[in-house]
Amino acid sequence: MTAILVCLLVMLGLQLLTPYWWWVMIVPFACGAAAARSGWKAFRTGFFAAGLLWLGSSLFLYLTGSELIATRMARMFGLGRSWLMIVATALVAAVAAGISGYAGYAVRAFVKKSTKNEDIS
Amino acid sequence: MRWIRAIVSLVLAAAVFWGLDNRHGTFPALGKLLNPFSGFWQNGSRSDAVPEKLVVPGLREEVRVVWDARHVPHIFAQNDHDLYLAQGYVAASLRLWQMEFQALYTAGRISEVIGPLGLQRDRFNRRFGLPWAAENAVRAFREDPRTREIVDAFTAGVNAYVRTLGRKGLPVEYKILDYKPEPWTDLKCALLLKAMSYSLASYNQDAIMTQAKAALGEEALDRLFPFFPPLVPPVIPPETPLDFTPLPVPAREKPAEPAIGAAITPADSLLSGFDAPPSGTFLMPGFQTGPGIGSNNWAVSGKLTRSGFPILCNDMHLGLSLPAIWYEIQLSAPGVNVRGVSFPGAPLVIAGYNESVAWGFTNGTDDVLDWYDITFRDDSRAEYLHGGEWRKTILREERIKVRSGATVVDRVIYTGYGPVVRPKDEPSIAPASIPAGAALRWLAHDASDEFSALYALNRAGTYAGYVAALKTWDCPSQNIVYADRDGTIAIWHNGKFPLRWKGQGRYVLDGADPRDEWRGWIPHEQAPHVKDPERGFVSSANQLPTGPGYPYYIGWDYASFERAARINELLADARNVTPADMIRMQGDVLDVRARAVLPRLLDILRNETAGETERMCFEELRAWNFEWWAARIAPTVFDELWTEIDRSTWQDEKKGDMKRMPVPASEMMVDLIMNSPEAEYFDDRTTTERETLTEIVQRAFHAAVANIEKRLGRFGEAWKWGGVKDTSLGHLGQIPGFGRKLPEADGVGHVINAIDRSWAPSWRMVVELGPEVRAWGNYPGGQSGNPGSRFYDDFVDDWAAGKPYELVFLRSADEPNPAVVGRTVMRGGK
Repeated sequence: MTAILVCLLVMLGLQLLTPYWWWVMIVPFACGAAAARSGWKAFRTGFFAAGLLWLGSSLFLYLTGSELIATRMARMFGLGRSWLMIVATALVAAVAAGISGYAGYAVRAFVKKSTKNEDIS
Repeated sequence: MRWIRAIVSLVLAAAVFWGLDNRHGTFPALGKLLNPFSGFWQNGSRSDAVPEKLVVPGLREEVRVVWDARHVPHIFAQNDHDLYLAQGYVAASLRLWQMEFQALYTAGRISEVIGPLGLQRDRFNRRFGLPWAAENAVRAFREDPRTREIVDAFTAGVNAYVRTLGRKGLPVEYKILDYKPEPWTDLKCALLLKAMSYSLASYNQDAIMTQAKAALGEEALDRLFPFFPPLVPPVIPPETPLDFTPLPVPAREKPAEPAIGAAITPADSLLSGFDAPPSGTFLMPGFQTGPGIGSNNWAVSGKLTRSGFPILCNDMHLGLSLPAIWYEIQLSAPGVNVRGVSFPGAPLVIAGYNESVAWGFTNGTDDVLDWYDITFRDDSRAEYLHGGEWRKTILREERIKVRSGATVVDRVIYTGYGPVVRPKDEPSIAPASIPAGAALRWLAHDASDEFSALYALNRAGTYAGYVAALKTWDCPSQNIVYADRDGTIAIWHNGKFPLRWKGQGRYVLDGADPRDEWRGWIPHEQAPHVKDPERGFVSSANQLPTGPGYPYYIGWDYASFERAARINELLADARNVTPADMIRMQGDVLDVRARAVLPRLLDILRNETAGETERMCFEELRAWNFEWWAARIAPTVFDELWTEIDRSTWQDEKKGDMKRMPVPASEMMVDLIMNSPEAEYFDDRTTTERETLTEIVQRAFHAAVANIEKRLGRFGEAWKWGGVKDTSLGHLGQIPGFGRKLPEADGVGHVINAIDRSWAPSWRMVVELGPEVRAWGNYPGGQSGNPGSRFYDDFVDDWAAGKPYELVFLRSADEPNPAVVGRTVMRGGK
């Protein structure tokens, strides 16, 4: 839970300061590499942190003036309802972040093992 | 095994990253687009809020912008420079993506944004010399200190706005297509003027007419396409006396060529085909040219109005699109206070009014584009024959950068006339019929400075000021209607017109023969015009400008008679006219063509209906009052019936290898139906019997009903005109979901309320002059170019219903007005 919250807050800060979308991949990767205790947990942290961040922020915007643009975007993508854009937004971030978090964990696990091996030799 | 897991998951993560960070074909870069912090979610209606203070670098003094409830900016500046700088800033804040996209499209650079889909169109626009034309215009702008100041200030204003944008603030289309705006330039302003010239002054039938001439002979074509067609009331009443001494008119030194009896064989034909453009070619809505696109304007003298002051009306018919082609604006500074509409990418007000005068446009539709057949010395095309000598051509290398593709290099040959749009050995590259191997001589290629005309028009206070302003309006030629508060009304058929013999340029000309060239120009003061005519009104609807009394030839392919005839008949009976009457008149949908011929057609069909559907169609027509209402079925039937009559009358007249027969104007058909039912044109040459109007109309009716039934199913709801017409406002970038359909819109192209399938009255305006000028207007769109704004298309329904808004026109920035909803103070930066 703490991991998700920390990851989410770091992403929120970076996203507010810069226009780049890929913080939702970089930050979970770093979280996964730095702190996760398993691949599954790293995936989960990224998935929920980024998913919730994009879900919450798009929902906020949807309710405060972006419903019309969401409707048009939904039509552009062939989705029937405008709120599906919120779901799509959250899902894209969640999946990308989850995969990235898992990759972060996997890389750390590999590096750690290699360093251990070096220590032994 | 950990290294495998690490590598696989890294590769997967990288693939996801790459996938979301890039466009795939037309599919957007999802990561960027969906990002709530800078993607499309930021393009909501929050941007509609009016800022109280803005720092706009470059402003010399304070500028105040007052916004009314329809999001119309009223700009109050203290000098011209600041006025146009602020206009550039405000225009960009409303329509930046549209301005740039239209400019790139005209420049033949759309492939840079949309990829290979744009290549065909880019190549065509460059071959047609549109960027070259804009470069020539820029040279003219820079030579005139005032135009230069206006255009530079406007450009600085646009760029000041562009610099405020991070990725978050970009219009949503940039995010969908994943690119960024580049700096605005004076060339882009010029490109938008040339886009208008392309739309309004490039349509021509020279190639197809040349083919028909070879088959049928010039005399036959002169009968089918007369220079003074029946039923058409010229713009300038024929009894108007000339107020000038004409120049000698060039004589035609070559005799008319007789028919060869058959068309030239395709092998040596100028026309190797009328191929449709390859499917999938991108075509921007609103950028089209063709017959029928037209406009109406008229001014009624105070003698005929209730107030005793003139009323001026204008509705300009252009391609429908979202964002709309126009936006509304008021521009005020010492020496000027003008209100109307403008193109987002250009400074000044284009059509509108100030405190003293009002003006409006309809397209002149004159012939200012000719084709010259070129004899090249050899395949290198380095030299061509002209007056017995070999002259050098110039190669212009067009480099078309294609997004996610290789740069395409196109070498266009320029002769002294202009570019060879389509070399002989190449397939057709465009929807227009371009004669192969011919060079294009087009007035819009010449340097001209229409902005200086608009600058003066914006400030005109008297008739003399208006006439002086028109001197630098070269192209596209326009019927520019005028009225002022002193009671004067006038119309000038205005533009730069080459001096030519009668009919010169109707067919492809000989590029080797200097006698076929344009020989100087008609002096501006001799352009067709009329001031305060006896009848108490002036009007135009793109029809023939003058009667036989006018000494010069300026064109032949004008709009058919219907709108002009209807406007004139309504105004001839007008007394005590009010603005409300004029607003109603702009919504008039009565078809004088149907009124003229339908009784005759119904007589023929009376005992000819077979089956229930035909009987119901006949009944619809019989009960019809000739008005094109969306909810009626009769217009659908008449439309199809007319098409069939036209087709069965003319298609068999073609001979030999002619690909198609140029179709004579509707007034020719009306005249034949009413006066020559036995005419040989009605005879179907493919049968042994001798057909007359009767047989043709009967066959056409059976065919028409069968066509509609096949297309729309059983007689009923689906046959209603509105649904059949299916008026649509497509998004400029063809983004699905960003456009609109308007099945409830009444009208058709040849009635006053000319709402057709893809083009319509793009700005309707009624101005009542007087001590306090009052005006009404509306256009199919909204002030904002942002599809997420409530101002994107908020005028559309009222526009379709024919309901204009009273226009807010302020005398000062502080004037209290209930319609004012916000004020912005702009100051220059340090």
